[in-house]
Amino acid sequence: MQRLNQCDSTFKDEVMAEPGGENLIRCYSCGTCMATCLIRRQDPDYNPRRILRMAMLGLREQVLGSHLIWRCSACDECYEHCPQGIRISDLFKAFRTIALRQGYSPPGPTARVNERTCVACGLCVEVCPYDAVELVQKRVLGHEKTVAQVNTALCMSCGVCAASCRSASIDLLDYSDETLLQHLQQQLQAIEVAV
Amino acid sequence: MVDAARHPNIKLLTYSEIKRVEGFIGNFKVLVEQKPRYVMANRCNGCGLCAPACPIEIPNEFEEGIAPRKAIYVPHSQAVPLVYSIDIDNCIKCYKCVDACGKLDAIDFSQQPQQTWLDVGSIVVATGFDSFDPSPIEEYGYGRYDNVITTLELERLNNSAGPTAGRITRPSDSKMPNSVAFVQCVGSRDERFNLYCSGFCCMYTIKNAVQWKQTYPDADISIFYMDIRTPAKGYEEFYRRAREMGIRFIQGRPSLITEDPETRNLFIQAEDIGLGQVIELEAELVILSTAAVPRADTEQVSTILNISRSPGGFFMEYHPKLRPVDSPTDGVFLAGAAQGPKDIPASVAQGSSAAARAARILNAETWEIEPIVAHVWEDRCIAAQGKKCGICATKCPYSAIIAEPGKAAQVTPAKCHGCGGCVAECPHNAITQMHFTDAQIFAQLHALLAKEPEKKIQVFMCHWCSYGGADTAGTSHFEYPASSRGIRVMCSARMDQDFVYEAFRLGAGMVLVSGCHPQDCHYISGQRVAAERFDRLAKRLADMGISPQRFRVEWISAAEGAEYARVIREMDETLKSFDPQALKEENERVRPELERRLRRLVEIPRVAEALETVVCV
Repeated sequence: MQRLNQCDSTFKDEVMAEPGGENLIRCYSCGTCMATCLIRRQDPDYNPRRILRMAMLGLREQVLGSHLIWRCSACDECYEHCPQGIRISDLFKAFRTIALRQGYSPPGPTARVNERTCVACGLCVEVCPYDAVELVQKRVLGHEKTVAQVNTALCMSCGVCAASCRSASIDLLDYSDETLLQHLQQQLQAIEVAV
Repeated sequence: MVDAARHPNIKLLTYSEIKRVEGFIGNFKVLVEQKPRYVMANRCNGCGLCAPACPIEIPNEFEEGIAPRKAIYVPHSQAVPLVYSIDIDNCIKCYKCVDACGKLDAIDFSQQPQQTWLDVGSIVVATGFDSFDPSPIEEYGYGRYDNVITTLELERLNNSAGPTAGRITRPSDSKMPNSVAFVQCVGSRDERFNLYCSGFCCMYTIKNAVQWKQTYPDADISIFYMDIRTPAKGYEEFYRRAREMGIRFIQGRPSLITEDPETRNLFIQAEDIGLGQVIELEAELVILSTAAVPRADTEQVSTILNISRSPGGFFMEYHPKLRPVDSPTDGVFLAGAAQGPKDIPASVAQGSSAAARAARILNAETWEIEPIVAHVWEDRCIAAQGKKCGICATKCPYSAIIAEPGKAAQVTPAKCHGCGGCVAECPHNAITQMHFTDAQIFAQLHALLAKEPEKKIQVFMCHWCSYGGADTAGTSHFEYPASSRGIRVMCSARMDQDFVYEAFRLGAGMVLVSGCHPQDCHYISGQRVAAERFDRLAKRLADMGISPQRFRVEWISAAEGAEYARVIREMDETLKSFDPQALKEENERVRPELERRLRRLVEIPRVAEALETVVCV
């Protein structure tokens, strides 16, 4: 049983103070988002309405610790139909930002930059659909240098940055070019053997 | 309606439009345009022989477009008066109706619009509402799928005098549907369309469902809802009856309706909130409970009658709780859904109330108004000197001021509610408010700040809220320091910035300006006018060198006695934290600038004279 008065009632204020989280309390749990959601077809545990409800009630650990807040793909299908104009992708971004700040880490791979080879061409910044990459000044191996930096709260692990990088300086943790090429070669060899 | 038409004291003007309204309570002049019917009302006996002769068929508005009507028609068979009209835009002038009319010879194509001025004492606005057009909600497919209809369309199908003689059939194949789903809150409670709840849709949906179930007990009926709202007498019991009859209530707003192109059945997708799972339902007919929206011509009517509109677009009442039937313009009353969505019992109650309130005026020989109206000193109004101004007219929420170029502004006392906004806004001090003149308020200021002004908090309070708040603080024994001195005016809009300048010129330690919360303002927009003014003033005072903490603006309601006491306590503490010597020096520094700003006002002989006679205590 959930004891409501032991929940953290400041959590919703914290979410609403975060950019993207402003509209949280508008939600009246109509379920439109859940019924439109593409992710819930893959993951039966995923229910955006329920996560919003949990946040409103102040179930801080359950929201921030849940792998589900990293599942939203920001397709914004639900946003188009939401009668209260709530952009759930923005809200989830706010959840993730708070989660990262409080020491939680993303459950899956996010893009990472090889700062030594990055030439700061900015192509990844341009292609990223989630505005998760930016160019920053950094000290790399004792030199001041402009490099790309990934905001893990925003990164959705789509890999478009890795595919477009010309110096192969950005990739996904478990899906680096090398790993993918290896997989491909194995598959091709398997086909050759079969043929 | 028939009774109304027969009543000797009721004159029914149908197919007419109000073009202009002039005058004020008890003395309105209304210009009515009677549109040409092209059928003579004194000859037509409603026999209806003309309509079958007419070759034109167009969608029937009364039947929600699901049945045709002719170009010569009556809106419906019970229409009062039962006189046919020709829809001239669609008429091809074949004159077959003239032949059909025969000896009666009632058709007259030479009719012209006729305008008449009427003298009336009061006006009741009962213009009703429109039904929301759900086609912009693409996910519901209205207009794309034949079998998605609105409730009003269902009402016509269900009506024994309707196009199907009461047999409910679905549009795609005219078959009786066995499974049907209702979708609630279509276009209401929705940020994209209308924020408000239409209020009566839950009940009429339950009514339709119950009626259906009674006639066809085997029918499979589902209602998709977010919240079922049954707040009135007997409503909850009715809802319970519907559940007991086996109607399926599903909490969850449908996100998508799709059609099977073969069967033309519809699939509704929603999350069942109780279940926490997405469900799908197949129905042969889907009925959308559409929101009630303001009539398309509400804007025009509001301009003609000078009555404002609430955020949802419906006509605004004078006061949401205490005067829900009156409009802000005296002598104009609101009835029914024109004021806001409401069901039949509420509309009847409001209609009866509006009629009684309108009759009160008709039965009175004279009409008493408050004596606190605004008055223009014509010699000081610069519009009389041919200059462009008219600020007073734009700030008046009641359109009580007429400002014509070349003429001094004119106040219609019967329309003036006495907020005093125009008085404070007039840049030439050419308007005053009876019983709240500048001279009277200045005299109060001089008396209150005669001794040790730097230890005083000068408070300006509005009659309805903050004065009430101070009163509540007193009667409830909420303690606050004795350093505050209050001056009451009717509305914060009356609080001239000159009052604040004068208070500081006299050396007041602190000035507090207080009034109603924006939504509580008793003069429609008075608080907004004041809030804008004091926003500007606060910056100006700071620029002049007055410490910003010394001027405060607070909106305090009549119930917030504790809040009033808290504000005064806080301000008193701030005042005590100032060094008295520094305060005096600050006052001396800004005095020349304050005097410069006040000179214009003191130049008005009527103010100066009054000030000379003030006895300082």
